Amino acid sequence: METVTFILRQMLNFAIPLLIVALGSMFSSRGGVINIGLDGIMIMGALTSVTFLRFTESTMSGQSQLMIALLISVGTGVLVSMLHAFASINLKADQIISGTALNMLAPAFSVFAARLFLGDSIINFKNTFIIQEVPVLSQIPVLGDIFFTKAYITTYLGILILIISHFVLYRTRFGLRLRACGEYPQAPDSVGIDVIKMRWIGVLISGALGGLGGLIFVVPNSTNFNGTVSGYGFLALAVMILGQWQPVKILYAALFFGMLKTLSATYSGIPFFNTLGIPGNYYKLMPYLITVIVLLLGPKALAGPKAEGQPFEKGMV
Amino acid sequence: MQHITKRFPRIIANDDVSFALRKGEIHALLGENGAGKSTLMSVLFGLYRPDDGKIFVKGQEVRINNPQEANRLGIGMVHQHFKLVQVFTALENIVLGVETTRNGVLQMNEARQKVDALSKRYGLLVDLDRKIQDMSVGMQQRVEILKMLYRDSEILVFDEPTAVLTPQEIDDLLKIIKELAKEGKSIIFISHKLNEIQQVADRCTILRKGRYIATVDVAGTTNEQLSEMMVGRKVMLEVKKEEAQPGDVALRVEDLVVKAEGISKLNKVHHVSFEVRKGEIVSVAGVEGNGQAELVMAITGMLPATSGKLYLNGIDITNWTIRQRNFGYISHIPEDRHKHGLILNFNLANNFILQTYFADQYSANGFLKNKEIYTRAKELIQRFDIRTAQGPDTIVKNMSGGNQQKAILAREMDREHELLVAVQPTRGLDVGAIEYIHEQLIRERDNGKAILLISLELDEVMSVSDRILVMFKGQIVADVLPQDVTERELGLYMLGTKVEA
Amino acid sequence: MKKTLLGILGNNAFGNTVASLVSIVLGLAVGLVVMYAFNPSGAWPGFVTMLQGGFSDGARGIGQVLYYTTTLILVGLSVGFSFQTGLFNIGVIGQFTMGAYVAIIIGGKLTMPGSIHWLVAILGAAVAGMIWAFLPGVLKAYAKVSEIITTIMMNYVALYWVNQLVFDTHYEKSTVMSAYVKKTALMPKMGFDTLFPGSSVNSGLLIAIIVAVFVYILLYKTTFGYGLRACGANREAARYAGINENRNIVVVMLISGLIAGLAGGILYLSAITKNYKISELFINEPGYGIPVALLGISNPFGVIFASLFIGYIIIGGSLMQGYGFPVETVNIITAVIIYFAAFSLIFKNMLNRVVLRESFKDTTEKKPRRVGLTWKR
Repeated sequence: METVTFILRQMLNFAIPLLIVALGSMFSSRGGVINIGLDGIMIMGALTSVTFLRFTESTMSGQSQLMIALLISVGTGVLVSMLHAFASINLKADQIISGTALNMLAPAFSVFAARLFLGDSIINFKNTFIIQEVPVLSQIPVLGDIFFTKAYITTYLGILILIISHFVLYRTRFGLRLRACGEYPQAPDSVGIDVIKMRWIGVLISGALGGLGGLIFVVPNSTNFNGTVSGYGFLALAVMILGQWQPVKILYAALFFGMLKTLSATYSGIPFFNTLGIPGNYYKLMPYLITVIVLLLGPKALAGPKAEGQPFEKGMV
Repeated sequence: MQHITKRFPRIIANDDVSFALRKGEIHALLGENGAGKSTLMSVLFGLYRPDDGKIFVKGQEVRINNPQEANRLGIGMVHQHFKLVQVFTALENIVLGVETTRNGVLQMNEARQKVDALSKRYGLLVDLDRKIQDMSVGMQQRVEILKMLYRDSEILVFDEPTAVLTPQEIDDLLKIIKELAKEGKSIIFISHKLNEIQQVADRCTILRKGRYIATVDVAGTTNEQLSEMMVGRKVMLEVKKEEAQPGDVALRVEDLVVKAEGISKLNKVHHVSFEVRKGEIVSVAGVEGNGQAELVMAITGMLPATSGKLYLNGIDITNWTIRQRNFGYISHIPEDRHKHGLILNFNLANNFILQTYFADQYSANGFLKNKEIYTRAKELIQRFDIRTAQGPDTIVKNMSGGNQQKAILAREMDREHELLVAVQPTRGLDVGAIEYIHEQLIRERDNGKAILLISLELDEVMSVSDRILVMFKGQIVADVLPQDVTERELGLYMLGTKVEA
Repeated sequence: MKKTLLGILGNNAFGNTVASLVSIVLGLAVGLVVMYAFNPSGAWPGFVTMLQGGFSDGARGIGQVLYYTTTLILVGLSVGFSFQTGLFNIGVIGQFTMGAYVAIIIGGKLTMPGSIHWLVAILGAAVAGMIWAFLPGVLKAYAKVSEIITTIMMNYVALYWVNQLVFDTHYEKSTVMSAYVKKTALMPKMGFDTLFPGSSVNSGLLIAIIVAVFVYILLYKTTFGYGLRACGANREAARYAGINENRNIVVVMLISGLIAGLAGGILYLSAITKNYKISELFINEPGYGIPVALLGISNPFGVIFASLFIGYIIIGGSLMQGYGFPVETVNIITAVIIYFAAFSLIFKNMLNRVVLRESFKDTTEKKPRRVGLTWKR
């Protein structure tokens, strides 16, 4: 029982950043801009916020410090995603190339800045954010152990973002308009909706959630940041595709991938998986392989928004 | 709109054009492609800022900077190409942009009530919860009309609304438009179909080459007068041609069945049989989507025949590849010249060899013979009078639509063939280019080639062809001679309400 | 005179070159600004050192530039070849990794005479890269699944799988890297070692140049290449013309993967000290494929020049460490160059528009062109 709850907690820790970033990616795609630069955006978000944690660790700690760090990661993500939005929306540049530029820039810049600013490319910080027990709630049988013991506030944040995302996408004016922009931008344009603006907002949301996901990737799992998020930005892309650009399905995909990731890290400690004798690398490659296989078997449902990746030319009535 | 002038770098699209719409009238706007109708409407919707001139709505001078401002002034438009999101429902499309919300949350029920009331009042039957992709073209158009009414538009612009409809659907639409006018809406009806203008419009303003020609009362004007004002000279309403001299059978289609493209299992062509003889132009008329596209694709090899046979000059070509058919047997002027006909980023010379680049004239041992390719290109440019900036080196993207179509024509006519399949070869072209292409088709016929023409334009079908086939729901429902049939009868065939005895 | 000038301006190659040069200048400028921001005193001397690049270290330095250039040419060709035919092979990294592994295994496990051992190894590497590109090609051609998504996924599969394979089959515990390959499997030096003593440049450079020439001829001079380019520029039109566009897409991915695999093989057989490091991070070198292809505008000869430039500043960047700047500085500059190259198209179009307008004044066309009236479609 102890190991099962441990694994489930671990799974949440891996799945939540995936969920958040995949939701971000979804907002961008739904507006018609594919953002493959999310790996880079995650790195930048983690870089600034972890640097903040490092510099304030003597004066601050706990949830208030984490909250500010989360805000910083969001702000950084928004700023960095502006580069992608400007290139791909205003200048109608190839969206893949501008995203690739971000992915190349971020890890290099992270190492560069950390080395010159802190003297070391690895940034260590004190992790004081774990909540040992949430009062009352932790007493709930089973669920209390999984969700409210040794938990991070970021888990709740992730679930909150999921609920909001679903609501915004399907129940609000903004969501309706955003989806229209990703499917057939000529339609919203003809009724006076500013497609350029909507797409900008979509990309900026992806930046905000990408930056946030960067920090949330680092915090529960580690006490340092070394300029990489282990390809989580790309994994989030896979999560979004398997989740068919729909928030709830994205949650399932994120949990599934989180489980595989957990297995790769902990399989040797679990008797059943240890006797299977499958090395951790296979658990690591599984999410990517599964994505390819699913694309191979069921490409119809995975078509995505129709206008995704296509620049929008205004002026066509 | 008074004295509107709009200049572009190389052209004056509107030169001192004035246009006045009275309340409750149906006012037709008539002109050829490129006459300036589109520009004028773009100015009205704030997409272009006029270089000169003023716009008044209800006596007030207004400046319109974007479509939303136009909408706010009560001006709405049904576009020729519907601006509808395919995966949204009718209701979602109608409210898009003017959604009712409470604290940011969509309130669809209020919208539904309002739309329901509107559709009852004007007799616009629409299933509000159906997705656009599952609707007929007619219903999609009704969604577009509801979209305008939902916005309380007083001035309704219909941009060539009948181009995609059958004659019977057109009747319904014209009835709706009259009803709207009776209810006090003011309507701008853009068209180049004189009969429809006669049927529905009160007044008509004619534009030509960017200039205002006249505004006339439709009741006191004949079709001939209107068309003369539109084109600026007397038009040949009839295409000049000799009696056809049909020879041997060139194409024989036997019991052909074709499935739709993609994974759909739907039969789009059901057991179709017909013949096209040498020296004869056979047209296939029909409402879009009744299997003509699939028929053409099966003949040219782009879709496999599910069953049935195709013969060309008696040879069974059913299982031939596209390339085999292209080579000496079939020429094909495709419906969509940008999608299929040309590689826009290649130059003209490289477009001319699209189907024949590997032929001995153009290649040796797997290498291209550029000298021959460019020599040939220069010949074709001269022979077909294609206007280019840089000769064979001109990137096709930079050519005008008419010249692009001429380039395709040149390539397809030049290539050796027995059968020419032309799909809507005159779509989107001006009268001069249309005449040129019709002449070429007839010359081709007189040279003893078989021609299969697919067209949605009944005028074209009636004037150019020697024999007319009508397709409805994948079947040929009529095989008639143009002199024996009226456009209305063709329309009935196209709708399946009349079947040949 | 005016005509010639317009001819040059209207020439695509000219516009492309200008666009690339502008991207490079902007990339360097931004790099310098970033360096100033973090280390004002070291920025200028560091920057100059980088620009002196390979020349500051004599023949060895030039040799090292050429050694890097070898890999860059091949990965650039791999990406560029896919660009030219309308695909985007982001999977070069995975194909490269697979190639590297196969070369290491053939080079380390098999025994063969020196004259053919290396050749067999790099051919094996090429085949491995080809196989790795096959699935994305098939998915793109027959299921219309974006090759971008599938190749990204295949990259990670390759990364983790090769990590495991190296660990299982050819591992050296003391270095946490792959074990050594046999001497017979190393790329022949062919006199490069006497020309550039102390550097790792080898016959791979010649192979890379031969591949570039081969790709050029294939794309622009043969009917086969015409078919590929036609598919790339307009898949539907190619189908209409009877070109087997699906097969061509697969073929393009196979060739692209082949070149990437070859690159991986050559790099890991370049020197006895070059071993595969087990890591959660991708190999650095193939990541330059996209910037090289963009700067070289996917033209094989452009790719050679772009590779020389990037190889040159990589070596320069490694010398900057003396001023406290990590080697990653070069990647910042490269990333900025990619970013600007992404919209160099805008710049080219601007140039084209000027040329077009001018050339229309020259011709005698009387019929006005309808510009701005294309709003319906």
